[in-house]
Amino acid sequence: MTHHPKERGNLSRRDFLMRAAGAGVALSGAPGLLAACGNTTSVPQATGTGGELLGPGGLPLARPDKRVTLPRWEDPIESGLEPETGGTFTVYNYPAYFYKKLLKEFGEKYGVEVQYTPFDNINSGLQRLASGAVTPDVMEITPDTLDIGVAGKLIKPLNLDYIPNLQKNIWPQLVDPFYDGESRYTVPYTCYATGIAWRTDKIKEDIAGMQQPWDIFWESQAYKGKVALLSENRETIGMALLRKGITDINTEDPALVNQAVADLKELYDVCNIKVDDLQYQTIPEGSSWLHQAWSGDMIAGYIYYLPKGTPATALGYWKAPHGQVPVQNDCFAICSTTKKPVLSHLFLNYLLDNGVAYENFVDFNGYQPPLNEIDPGSLVKDGVVPPHLENSVLTNDDLGTDSLQYGTLTSQGQQLWEDGYSNFLAGGGS
Amino acid sequence: MYRRWLWPGVAIPGIVWLILLFVVPFYAVLGVALGTVDPILFQPVPIWNPLEWNVGWLNEVFSRLAPGGIWFDVGVRTIVYVLVSLGLCLLIGYPVAYYTARHAGRWKGVILILIILPLWISYMMRMLAWVNLLQSDGYINRFLVYTHVLSQPRDWLGGSASTVILALVYGYIPYLILPLFASLDRIDRSHLEAARDLGASPWSAFRTVTLPLSKTGILGGAVLITLPMFGDYYTPNIVSGAPSTSLIGNQIDLYFHGGPQPTIGAALTIVLAAFLTVLMLYYMWSIHRAQRDVGAVGAL
Repeated sequence: MTHHPKERGNLSRRDFLMRAAGAGVALSGAPGLLAACGNTTSVPQATGTGGELLGPGGLPLARPDKRVTLPRWEDPIESGLEPETGGTFTVYNYPAYFYKKLLKEFGEKYGVEVQYTPFDNINSGLQRLASGAVTPDVMEITPDTLDIGVAGKLIKPLNLDYIPNLQKNIWPQLVDPFYDGESRYTVPYTCYATGIAWRTDKIKEDIAGMQQPWDIFWESQAYKGKVALLSENRETIGMALLRKGITDINTEDPALVNQAVADLKELYDVCNIKVDDLQYQTIPEGSSWLHQAWSGDMIAGYIYYLPKGTPATALGYWKAPHGQVPVQNDCFAICSTTKKPVLSHLFLNYLLDNGVAYENFVDFNGYQPPLNEIDPGSLVKDGVVPPHLENSVLTNDDLGTDSLQYGTLTSQGQQLWEDGYSNFLAGGGS
Repeated sequence: MYRRWLWPGVAIPGIVWLILLFVVPFYAVLGVALGTVDPILFQPVPIWNPLEWNVGWLNEVFSRLAPGGIWFDVGVRTIVYVLVSLGLCLLIGYPVAYYTARHAGRWKGVILILIILPLWISYMMRMLAWVNLLQSDGYINRFLVYTHVLSQPRDWLGGSASTVILALVYGYIPYLILPLFASLDRIDRSHLEAARDLGASPWSAFRTVTLPLSKTGILGGAVLITLPMFGDYYTPNIVSGAPSTSLIGNQIDLYFHGGPQPTIGAALTIVLAAFLTVLMLYYMWSIHRAQRDVGAVGAL
């Protein structure tokens, strides 16, 4: 077949393939050609005058045995001011992590409409806040992300005169916590430990009786497809470290982190490991049999997701003994975008009220507030928690100076852990 | 003068639209991918001047995707899943589109509505519905066991590749059928009659007339579904959750979800876009060829 001369400009298949190959070569060589441009893949690392590593914004890295009092970047509001009224009051938090009935009651009490804006995780929530995409009044924050909030001036210093419930109702360990000395920026919201949840009617092994219970994930061939880890880089890699007896869960040693990732990758073949954060639902429903889980998931799962006819004893939970178990607490802080700073303080006081905090815990999210009046025995006695899940309730002592807590990492440490998790999540052999 | 500018002027809104919603965002992603990161907030700091671009993140992405890199397997897996899904979509979608265009008669409209109907519900909701249906004690397993197709319930949601591929097929197949239907519906029946009159068997007429004339529809539908499939991350998340079935989109999602390296996510997006551009160029070349061939057939 011949073509009109105007059609001669069309590419033949061979021409196309050759040109595509050429384009591919050019593309692969593009970075080389752009070598004259900058070529960096690290976030600037802050160090102190003594050479010690610092967190984002040059703030010291807090650890349970290394208390940090954060600098105030502005003065707190004065005492004795009247709360603002009218308009909206925005709470910025994980989805479905605060009882809407209580938010509504707060709004009615102070004449504002309470709006709930969810984020996917704290880091992305902080980035949205910094970008101005959201302008909340108060937000949830965690100790390991607190540096970003303070150094980025995203959260405001507190005036504790407005928050008497902190001293009155909250565990002493968290009134003046190691990550935020003098509670300059945060108040605690919930606390939890990381352990293992399982279905006792499906898993034959005595997990709690094992010499190293974390090994159960590496011995779960029989439960393939029903085994999952939390989808959090700190939790997965941290668990693999703990399994090997490494209790420095804030390590920035590449050898240790890379070995932990290599260990996690063994789980592809062992049990086709999954990652998700649905353990509070999937374990009670039975679609997952073995799952790394936070202690609050067991309480929430027992209260809300256990199907009728399934006994509470079908749920099992283990957490390591004190000093070997990762524990954490979530916090609340006032965003620098607030137009209602006084009301924001009152909200923080409201969420630490014994009745409010208890109702939020028992009637909604299942995550325990660090209230003095809550103790494992009373929760069992009141029927909130079944006796065999009493170990999922924490006490003040669990958060002591010898506790294991995921703390802020340096910028490079965060890169190391994020890349390690990416490697695990890629599901490949490399 | 007026006539000279009339028709080009009609294209102006489209060009403005394209600049605002494609060129500008794409350049923004490029600026992020070749930029730096705020040391405190870990927000991307785009670099707009090409002379100052930082190619470090792009190099990092290339090295991870190369054989032996940590993303090589997930890259290959993504290509395989998309190709298998595309093949299945064609295998299922072509007969449906063919029947609708050629044999459905007065039911044509009803069938088209049924094909479009699932699109009225969000993709996520449809996938979540499948999670319920595919449970060990869900309706799918019950049906398959009842009909003795399976002797015991299958663990569809246990992180299997087949479930992810079938979910991709289910999710995207309407987008293949519709352009395919449009292409088949436009074929002049006289071409087929001519082929039959000249002694071609039904199969031969299909192979030599219908199939080549529907090539534009096949390619258009294929492009329409493969582009989003390559960036999909929620389908494997919802129906599997296993790293062994994760796609390259999951890596982009990971790096864009907070953390100190959003630039890695942007750089990976750029590399994926470049890869898809090569596919698009092939599509455009094929379309051009197919249209010319159609013109040749029409001129016979």
